[in-house]
Parts: sequence; structure tokens; C-alpha cells
Amino acid sequence: MNSLLRRAYNWLDERLQLESLVKFMGKKYVPVHRNSVWYYFGGVSLFLFLIQVITGILLLLYYKGSDQLAFESIQFIMSKVAFGWLIRSIHSWAANLFILAVLIHMFSVFFEKAYRKPREITWVTGMLMFFLALGFGFSGYLLPWNELAFFATKVGTDIAGVVPIVGKPLMKFLRGGTDVTGATLSRFFGFHVAVFPGIFTILLGTHLLLVQRQGISEPMGHENQPGSERKTMPFFPNFLLRDLLLWLIVLNVLAILAVFFPWDLGRKADPFASAPSGIKPEWYFLFMFQTLKYLPAKFVFVDGEVLGILGFGAAGLLWLLVPFWDARSARGESNRFLNYMGLFVVVYIIFFTVVGWIA
Amino acid sequence: MNLPARIGFVLAFAAPLAMAQAPHDQCLTCHQALGDEPSTLFQHDVHFRHGISCADCHGGNRNSEEVEDAMNKSAGYLGVPKGDAISAVCAGCHSSRSKMSQYGSRLPVGQLEMLSESVHGRLAISGKARIVQCTTCHNAHGIVSPKDPSSPVYPLNAPTTCAKCHAQASYMRLYDPALPVDQIEKYRTSVHGIRNAKGDPKTAQCTSCHGSHDIRSAKDAKSSVYATNLPATCAHCHSDAAYMKEYRIPTDQYEKYARSVHGVALMQKKDLGAPACNNCHGNHGATPPGVESISKVCGTCHALNADLFSASPHKRAFDERHLPECETCHGNHEIVPATEQLLGAGRGAVCGKCHTAGESSGGYQTAGLMRSLSDSLLLEEGKATALVEKAEQKGMEVGEARFMLRDVHQSRLESRTMVHAFDRQRFEDVTSKGLKAAAVVSTEAQGALDEYVFRRVGLGIATLIITILAVSLHLYIRKLERKQSHASVT
Repeated sequence: MNSLLRRAYNWLDERLQLESLVKFMGKKYVPVHRNSVWYYFGGVSLFLFLIQVITGILLLLYYKGSDQLAFESIQFIMSKVAFGWLIRSIHSWAANLFILAVLIHMFSVFFEKAYRKPREITWVTGMLMFFLALGFGFSGYLLPWNELAFFATKVGTDIAGVVPIVGKPLMKFLRGGTDVTGATLSRFFGFHVAVFPGIFTILLGTHLLLVQRQGISEPMGHENQPGSERKTMPFFPNFLLRDLLLWLIVLNVLAILAVFFPWDLGRKADPFASAPSGIKPEWYFLFMFQTLKYLPAKFVFVDGEVLGILGFGAAGLLWLLVPFWDARSARGESNRFLNYMGLFVVVYIIFFTVVGWIA
Repeated sequence: MNLPARIGFVLAFAAPLAMAQAPHDQCLTCHQALGDEPSTLFQHDVHFRHGISCADCHGGNRNSEEVEDAMNKSAGYLGVPKGDAISAVCAGCHSSRSKMSQYGSRLPVGQLEMLSESVHGRLAISGKARIVQCTTCHNAHGIVSPKDPSSPVYPLNAPTTCAKCHAQASYMRLYDPALPVDQIEKYRTSVHGIRNAKGDPKTAQCTSCHGSHDIRSAKDAKSSVYATNLPATCAHCHSDAAYMKEYRIPTDQYEKYARSVHGVALMQKKDLGAPACNNCHGNHGATPPGVESISKVCGTCHALNADLFSASPHKRAFDERHLPECETCHGNHEIVPATEQLLGAGRGAVCGKCHTAGESSGGYQTAGLMRSLSDSLLLEEGKATALVEKAEQKGMEVGEARFMLRDVHQSRLESRTMVHAFDRQRFEDVTSKGLKAAAVVSTEAQGALDEYVFRRVGLGIATLIITILAVSLHLYIRKLERKQSHASVT
């Protein structure tokens, strides 16, 4: 058996020069320290993204992206297609876990200041992928064309329409018209399965390439420790096998969620029906949605909602550009202000998400 | 003799004669001498008998013999009131409890307010006054109590008084072109109208149902003849045993109706599609439907049932026996929801009233078969519904089965209608369609429940495999790292 595998490997090696790749990976080391656990969330995010790609492709075999057929096609997938229920539930659950994993990965990088020179581009590509993940979530949420999704999209695109100057054209562009209709579904479907994956693949390729090229970031001060105290672990096979172990656990969690909490389909959207009470966006938008609800109608001369949206926009931009204005971390010095700011953001998001969820 | 000369004559000769009689009312004295109609009528007026003078309504000085003085506008003379001023003059006393008490009257004092809120209180086409003033119905001079047979609002006269406007198409078109103008004609054909014409003031006439001063459009939810209020309006007389005693008809119709499927739908569920008394009996032409017309009356809503019945063998059989069609099986006022219990020959069923086991027509057997099929369909629908609900509770997607349940229910409703054809084959066709649909739904729902179990078993197996893989991987990593650690030491 072993000889058979060896022969197969040799056959491939002669053609693909795998030996050099194995040697390259064998030279890669992952720092081991008390915060090493956070390194795994990048891998988990990647695994969940791959699951999304696979299950998404499988769903595409049956899904029909029109307002007349979308709901029925998912109903068909859920009830008639062999394991269709499993694929759809895993796709929905994995989407949420993916955003959760990406959030954890992002905050771990932020608090470790792993974005500092020379990894600014890695951070920016990561952040852009995070924004795209939110876009995946927002566009995918509408695709079942059910009541909740329809009205949540209406509310979501309404909020986009509040942005000064570009808001109205943006809203019209997103909706494919003045209202949420079948045209909105068609373009959301297009964004979800073509535009976003295309951009995401480029960003992901760059991100992974940079991680491989630059290696995994060490915590601040770690590199100054004497060689005997700097613990590391080979990326291949040690870290990769641990990654695999975690992926297996995540896969099992997904299966448990899909079986015990199958993703509800709800009722088909009726554009002429009145909006059901308690319309809420997906949990990852909830903190922003809840904040906008608490803002006063007018703040001096500016609409509270406009101010809120602009505030979140500015905060997002600052967050995206943090490697370029955090000079202390770039110099290898600790930046307490950023730590407290990050902590505030985490608490803020958790608090308003919980409040929004309860409300 | 011209008018000033006549007035001069009256003042010179007739007035002193009149003044000798108490109470002194110079207006009446002069106008009587002129022989005009208002003063003649006013002598029979209830107001005249209570000492109310012309000047109390028209203004002016009742004591002055001089025309210029008696009818001096600067001294308050109004002349003949016009438009809303007419009702305002009446309301001067009739809306004042204290003034009415002075004359010993116990009449209600809110008539003008009620009139103003009524359909007649809307602005007339002139845009200057209400459509109806007090005098429109009560007259201006010669007003008598509504209990007086000569009053235009006395029960025997009220229909004619109302018809003065309501039977005039050209007039009614100005206000409500859609409102019929044949109420009086219909009324005269009704039991109420016939008795009213014969001189019975107790039978219902316009005001008995519509009210008097507070008449509202029948579409107004506050109207006494609005669909949901109508049964109580009819019951006002028809449930009063003492009042109805001389007519020798039952007085429990309202109680029965309130319990009926129609009464519950209309009065409790506020379903305006459900019939009130007038939908079966007529409103202005109210009369009990005859034996031969019952199916037509019920058929105005239950059209399919009526058509099937009319084409069925039962039509002839019922006609020959003078049996009221729908009523024989369903009753009249107390129509309960038609369930499967009505069908067949067993307890609570109605077919057994006529059909017996030994008869040659086969009706008894057909009734039994129809009941059996009907029960089966009900049972299968119940089973299928329970299975779908169970699957839904377990989070299974059974939307299609849930949708198909409608077909089962529809078949059951169709079968209830098809009963009225009393045709075994057609009934079997409808019920078998429902039974087949119920079987498909049950299979689908049961499949979903089986799938539910399969998923859990599958998850258990998958978890076991993943756990074995994970543990193996963990052990392999440990082994590998031990080996690496050993190698680095050596």
C-alpha cells in the first residue's frame, strides 16, 4: 500500500516538482505562545469558505433566481432533492459561522497588531474580504425570496439610500429599480454567485500568498526573545494537521446544527403584504441597525440616521486603514489606546447585538 | 277688496271681537279674519291648545293691532322661517327641557340633534340647509301628536309620508341615485304593509325599523337596519311575546337565529356576508317564504346546492309531499353547521326521517353509503393533517403536503355540496378524489417523519466517523510530535 502511494507521489513529483514545495513548507514555522490558539481561526475561516463554495455550487444545480421560482426551488431542494436539506442548511449555517470566524480572526489580528509592517496589504485584503463576506450575507439572505428576507432587504437598501449624494443612486442600483422586486433578486443572485466570488478569489489568493510569503506574524516582542525561548511548530505537517483536526470538529458542529436546527424557509414574499412585525437584519448587521434606532431624528441640522451611517462608514474606513496610522505598533511599541479602542468596539458590537436580538 | 283694505277692515271690526276672548292672540285674530289656511289649521294644532301663539314661532308682537307694529322686523318679527331656521324655531322649545316642562310635556328633547346626525341632516342640494326639516314630516300648522290618527307620522300614515320623497325617483336621484324608490310598493305587499293598510297601527312601518329622527343609512354601522343590528331590530317586536300575542306566531326566532350558523357568523364573527332576517324574508316586502320558494331563497347564496337539489329526484318527491325543500333537513331559523352527522339513517341523521331499510328505492342504502364515504374522508383528512402538523413541528419541510391538504378539504366541501344531488356515483367520484389526495398527503408527511429519523441516525453515524477520525488524527499528531521531539533531543 505504502509503496503504491510512494509510486503515485513520485509520479506526481516528477511532473509537478512537489519535493521543492514540501521542502518550502517544511521550513515554515508557526510561533507557539499563549495566544497561538487564535492562529487557527484563519484556517477555520478558509475551511468554512470552502464549504460555502462547495455547497453553493450544489445549490446552484437546483436554485432558480427569479421571484416567481426562487422560493419554490428552495422548497424543492429542501423536500425533494436527496440531501438537499443538508446542503441548504449547511450553506446557511456555514455562512453565519464563516462571518463569526472571520470576525474572531480579524479581532485577533487587530489585538496582536499583526497588521503592522510588513503585513499591511494582508490586513487590507483581509478587511476587504470581511466586507465582501457581509455582502455575501446580505445578498444571499434575499435569495430564498421569503417574507423576512424581502422586508429585511427593503429596510437594508432603504438605509443605504440615506447616504448623502450617492445614497439614492446606490439604492436604485442595488434594487434594480425604485423598489425591491424580481430585478433586485436577479442582481443579488448575480452578485452572490459571480461578482463577489470572483473578487473574493483574487483577494483570498493574495491574502494566502502573502501569509505564505511573509510567514505567520509573531506577537510583539516575541522576535526579541532569545532563540531557546522562542517556541515554534513546523507548519507542515504539525500545524496543518491541527488545522485539519479543528476542521473535522467544525464539520461535525455544522452537521449537528443542520440536523437539529434546519434553516427555516418561512413564507414566500408577498410584495403587496404589509411588513411583518419585528423585521431584523442578520445578526452581524444588528449592532448597526440597533444603533440607528437609538439615534435622535435630528442631530443639530443633520438627520440622526445619516449621521449614524456616516459614522459607521468613517469607523470602517479607519479600521481598514489602521496599519497606516498606527505608527507606534509599526515601530514595535505597544499601543494601549488601540487596545482600549478595540476592546470598546468588541463590547459595543456584543452589547448592541444582544440588545437588538432581545428587542 | 284689496289686502290693505281687508287688513283695515279686520283691525276695525273683527279685532275688538276677538280680543274679548282669552287668551288674546292678535295674530290669530287677524289671520282668522283673513281666512288663510295656516290660521285655520293652527286651531287644531297641539301647540295652539297649549297656548302657543303664532308670534312664538314667527316673532312679532302678538298684542299689537297695528300691522306695522305687530310685524315689525326690528321688534323681532321673523316672518316665514326658511331652511334650517324652521327647525331652529322648533328646537327653541323642543330642545329645552325646562320649556317643555312648562307645557307639561315629557317628549324627548334631543330630536334636532338626532336629525342633524341622521342621513336627513345632510346638506340639501341648495347647500344652505338640511335635506329635511321638522315640518317636512310633521307639517307646519295643524301639528298633532304622532299618536293622533290624523298625524302624518301616525303609524298608519307614516309610510305615505315617507313615500312623498322616497317614492319620487326624480327627487331621490338628487341624493342617492342607487337607492330604490319602490319601498312603498314592496311594503304594501308585505305582511306588515297589508296589516298596516287594514288599519293595524302595531305592525311595523318605516319608523319601526329605521327610527324617526335618527335615521341613518343602512350602510352606517350605527343604523338600526345595518346588517349586524337588524336581527335585534326585528326582534324588538318579534321576540316580545306580549306584543305578538294577537298574531299567534312564534317569538323564539331571534334566539334560534342567534344560535344558528348564520347568526353566529353575522353577530359574533361580524361576517357581513351572512344573512340577516331580511335576506330570507325580504326587508320592505317582508313575508315568510312559501314552501315552494325556500330553495330559491336559500339558493341566492347556496346556488350550487339549490341547483343540484332542483335537478335531483328529491325535488319531485318533496313537491309531492309539500315539504319545504332546504328547511326539511336543515331547519329554518336555527340552522346549525351542516356536518356529516346530518347524512345517513343513524342517530342525528335526517335521511332516516323518510327513508326506511326495507324500501325499494335504495335511498336508505345510498344514504348509508354516502355517510360512510363522508366519514372516511373526514377521518383521512384528520389523519393527514395530524401527520403534516407533526412533521412541521419536527422542522421538516412539508409545504407541498400542507398545500395539498387544501385539495382534501376542498373535496370534502365539494362532497357536502354534492350530497344535494343525491346521486351515488357523483358523490363517490368527489369523495374518492379527496381520499386519493389525503393518501398522497399522508404518504408525503410520513416520508418526512421517516426522513427525520433517518437524519438523526445518519448524524449519529457521521459523528461517530468524524470522532474516530479526529481521535486518530489527534493520536497521530501526538505520535508525530513525540517522534520529532525525540529526534531533536538525539
